[in-house]
Amino acid sequence: MKPPPFEYHAVGSVEEAVGLLAEHGDEAKVLAGGQSLVPLLALRLARPAHLVDINGVSELASFANGDALRVGCLVRQRVAERAGAVGVANPLLVRALGLIGHTAIRNRGTIGGSIAHADPAAELPTVLVALDGEVEATSRRGPRTVAASELFRGFLTTSLAPDELLTGVRFPPWLAGTGWSFQEFSRRSGDFAIAGVAVTVRLDTNGVATDVRIALSGMGPTPVRASSAEAALVGQPPSEAAWNAASQEAVAGLDPPSDVHGSAAYRRHLAGVMTRRALREAHERAEVRS
Amino acid sequence: MTRRVLQLSVNGRAHELMVEPRRTLADVLREDLELTGTHLGCEHGVCGACTVLLDGLAVRSCLMLAVQAAGTEVMTIEGLERDGEMHPLQEAFRDSHSFQCGFCTPGFVMTVLALLDEGRDLSEVELREELSGNLCRCTGYQSIVEGVQLAAERMAAGR
Amino acid sequence: MRLIGAKVPRVEDRRILTGRGRYVDDLHLPHMLHATFLRSPVAHARVAALDASAAKRAPGVVAVFTGEEMKALSKPIAVPMAEAMGARIPEFYPLVTDKVRFVGDLVAMVIAETRYEAEDAAELIDVIYDPLQAVSSYEAALDPASPALFDELGDNIVYTSSSSAGDVDAAFAAADRVVAMTLRQHRVANAPMETRGAVADYDPASGELVYHAATQGPQGLRLALANTLGLPMERLRVLAGDVGGAFGLKGYVGREDLCLAAAARQLGRAVKWTEDRNEHLLASGHAREEKIDIEVAVTNDGSLLGMRAHMTMDHGAYPGVPFPAAMFSGLVQMLLPGPYRMQGYAFDVTAVSTNKCVYVAYRGPWEMETWVRERVLDEVARELGMDPADLRRRNMMAGDADERLITGLSVAGISSRQSLERALELIGYDAFRRDQAAARAQGRHLGIGFATFIEAAPGPPEMRMGGGMFGGEQAKVKLESDGHLTVVTAQAPHGQSHETTLAQIAAEEMGVPFEHVKVVHGDTSVTPFSLIGTGGSRAATWASGAVLLSTRKVKEKVLAIAAEQLEISPEDLEINDGVITPLGAPHKSLPLAQIAMQATMAPNSLPPGTDPLLEAHETFKGEGITGSGWSGGTHACIVEVDLETGHTQILRYVVVEDCGRVINPAVVEGQIRGGVAQGVGEVLYERAAYDEDGNFLAGTFMDYLLPTAAEIPTIEIEHLETDPDDELGFRGVGEGGAVVAPATLTNAIADALAPLGARVYDQYLPPSKVLELAGVLPTT
Repeated sequence: MKPPPFEYHAVGSVEEAVGLLAEHGDEAKVLAGGQSLVPLLALRLARPAHLVDINGVSELASFANGDALRVGCLVRQRVAERAGAVGVANPLLVRALGLIGHTAIRNRGTIGGSIAHADPAAELPTVLVALDGEVEATSRRGPRTVAASELFRGFLTTSLAPDELLTGVRFPPWLAGTGWSFQEFSRRSGDFAIAGVAVTVRLDTNGVATDVRIALSGMGPTPVRASSAEAALVGQPPSEAAWNAASQEAVAGLDPPSDVHGSAAYRRHLAGVMTRRALREAHERAEVRS
Repeated sequence: MTRRVLQLSVNGRAHELMVEPRRTLADVLREDLELTGTHLGCEHGVCGACTVLLDGLAVRSCLMLAVQAAGTEVMTIEGLERDGEMHPLQEAFRDSHSFQCGFCTPGFVMTVLALLDEGRDLSEVELREELSGNLCRCTGYQSIVEGVQLAAERMAAGR
Repeated sequence: MRLIGAKVPRVEDRRILTGRGRYVDDLHLPHMLHATFLRSPVAHARVAALDASAAKRAPGVVAVFTGEEMKALSKPIAVPMAEAMGARIPEFYPLVTDKVRFVGDLVAMVIAETRYEAEDAAELIDVIYDPLQAVSSYEAALDPASPALFDELGDNIVYTSSSSAGDVDAAFAAADRVVAMTLRQHRVANAPMETRGAVADYDPASGELVYHAATQGPQGLRLALANTLGLPMERLRVLAGDVGGAFGLKGYVGREDLCLAAAARQLGRAVKWTEDRNEHLLASGHAREEKIDIEVAVTNDGSLLGMRAHMTMDHGAYPGVPFPAAMFSGLVQMLLPGPYRMQGYAFDVTAVSTNKCVYVAYRGPWEMETWVRERVLDEVARELGMDPADLRRRNMMAGDADERLITGLSVAGISSRQSLERALELIGYDAFRRDQAAARAQGRHLGIGFATFIEAAPGPPEMRMGGGMFGGEQAKVKLESDGHLTVVTAQAPHGQSHETTLAQIAAEEMGVPFEHVKVVHGDTSVTPFSLIGTGGSRAATWASGAVLLSTRKVKEKVLAIAAEQLEISPEDLEINDGVITPLGAPHKSLPLAQIAMQATMAPNSLPPGTDPLLEAHETFKGEGITGSGWSGGTHACIVEVDLETGHTQILRYVVVEDCGRVINPAVVEGQIRGGVAQGVGEVLYERAAYDEDGNFLAGTFMDYLLPTAAEIPTIEIEHLETDPDDELGFRGVGEGGAVVAPATLTNAIADALAPLGARVYDQYLPPSKVLELAGVLPTT
């Protein structure tokens, strides 16, 4: 299981990187943490003719919490997980980060890499979709931002063009009192989730939900926002019955894959269970306020 | 594929090598530097047998291209002994009969070294979670958990 | 100085812990080449065309071997044990010649300067396959209309056998009821952390081949290489260094081994092959795929009268060399009744070949018998409305001198009853039912399960006659000139700590410090012959007994010399710490080293009539064992099943085991816990799955799930050290944990799900299956 041959380019700037991507297009793959790409190379499931290693572009490794939490694409998952500033800025993100694989994976894996890899079973794409975050991308044609709802197109596929580099990720400001939960079920500690759910909830002074977000992982080729379930909960006082109904609604019509880890029916069932648990936990954390 | 120069430090010694970029760090350590203590159990980043420390952090060396380690300080299992004396972690594992066939062992030792370095006080459940990234087929893990607990105790007591 | 019974720190650990182990992939020889194999992507097909010309020209490539070339270098691969059993053996060679018969089958071998280049070149080999219908189930294999995997055999039935004992018809005629079911065990992979691999080092100048291998049976490997490839044995040496686990897999001779040795001889250079994990999961060997249709005749008050069992085994495409799948059916047949009385017993077996990987032995390859029996007993108890513990008590033999299995073997001295009662006590069986009811009231589903097993390690006297199935075991012990000991064993350890345990035995027997004993293994030029090497839970008894005998012989020789020189009777001489000490006359002590050096340098100066050759090479055939010969025990566990997710949590796991006289408690406990962990993995996480077209679905560790430290619970162990006066009472413990854990765990899950009407007939119980059994999900 040895990687196939490729041309290797270690770049020192964004400019160099996008220059190579412009030149080689879909014959090139970006190498950041490598925790997803290198196994694919070893199994010879990925055979890029060119590998653009961006680990030397230090400007991509910073993060800042201003009017939004902005995380450079090269920020290591473990660094973000342990940074107090990130935890204060976005507890849901930190929780999701802690669920990614194992420490050694997170020591190398990057925030941007996980999002760009677009595995629907992964935690970060799901969190981005739940929070309506956005990514910053750039190419020779200039920079742009892409909303999470526009980003994930299919299994391991984003809407970024082959010549675009994902440079950063932005999470909207976290409003005080927001309740949150990330629930996932995997066969073993650290495995990809069979089904996972990210939920945030805001309540008004009467304890009625004013904002509910539910995003599901592992339920299709991309993370799924359960918009009709969300809508059904807004304006409702919280109750087990409401959460039950919402979780049924969230999974209705979904067509998750069947594989050795579970059938479609099992995944749907599990997603319903995880959604209910996440709604309950998010409500427990939410603070009643205006 | 054309080879590139790779300069890195391994177990405190500087090296300059010529490597093909597609070669993994694990393969370069094992073959070019003849440090065969780092083992390959899966080559796809699941078993942890290839774990080394890179600038103090545990990483899976099968998931890194060797050229990505340029300018870094790598520590492998061979780097723990001092003047022929085993590190307290290695002694604790020996005293706890932690291992059997030994193939997973270097990966566990490096993972635990980094873990103990963090200085967190872990419950057994938390410890088992932290160890869940390293597979062992022989022991059923209990003896490894005991070894880590013994090491933590001894190292805290300054032995 | 008591070494036997002590948790002596391991000799192996100094090198294991510091990265100085020598596993076969660590070996770098001058001018060494690297091999990779092109493997079939389809389960069943004729090879219509193969063009390796582009591969041969690829950078770094030295040679490409295909089927016809390899056939010319090899005889048809023989399987003597299969022949002896009357199992049908096809004609097959190291690489395929006409057909591929499973996904992963060996199509070609590429040899290049580096593994990277070999893999690049293998992709350039062009093969055209004409697909055939894949035979991927018992039903398909038994169907005469299915294509035969081997044309010359005509069909896919490899082996059948029937036996019966007692009066089966009378037993069934007398029954109040007959409880019948089909129990299915799924395919798993041994999956040691080190894959297979070897370096074949051929020197054209001397005609010698040194075969470095990750093997647990170096002598068997040597024999097979010699016989199949026509290699002269005096110029063939197999060397096993450190081996990273095996669990039965590495006792097999792979077709890859034959390819590698043949290629090295052709090329006159060293050739290395290290199996990667994908190949390993796909093609090294799978285990345990069998089902048993069973009927149990019982009375309404819970007496077992008789049993009829039909086992079907999925043997895979090729026979396992040298241990074909069919041979394990004999062990299942022998042990299925377990330590329970009955009047009639019929067992028959059919082994079929399918388009899957070869079936190999996996830690207790007869494990099916304990799983089936203990599962069935719980189901019988349920049918009869009896407590499963009471059902066991009613029928379990006590180990009295006259008690025998229905098949005739004596079970005198077994401790099944003691282990059952103690395990139930430790797990809190009686109190548990109250806790379980209280938990159910809160919507939590707890379950308790237990299972008892017996294992013939080494077995009762009639099994040990003449040294049993393998003729006993040999060991060589030599007193070195400095008074230290070299012990040469036929064992080939891969985690069992024999360098420590056998040194404990030799050091204590001889009276020398533990640190002065070295155990040598894994080198066929010095080690005695054993076909099986390390396996079958034999080491504790046979290897230990052989070492004890040989050491005793050397000691006798030394004391005979000392006795003459000191003019003291040998009975009045002891050896302590390497010093020969006359009882009552310590001033006349003599260092062992002195006699040893004298024997080396001046043998003529030794007393007349004494033997100056201070070595011994004895065969231990089981003489002197006074104990029962049966290992065994009872495991019990408590689980909680989450009926929302299907997840099973093991809350407690208790082991009461009897392996006779313990050499090193830490080693024994490590073996048990490792075996239990594999049993847990087997039930909850691991399945070497194929689809109906024979495509393999678990080719990486992301799909073949080994349990981690987070999934394996703390395992509490209590030893029953029975037969304490049996000096040779060391009994095997390597396999027991893996043999009984699946039954223990599935019984607990079945107990948790019983109130929902669930019946557990399959051993693989991942979360989705649990929800189906619980009625939460529809059955697929």
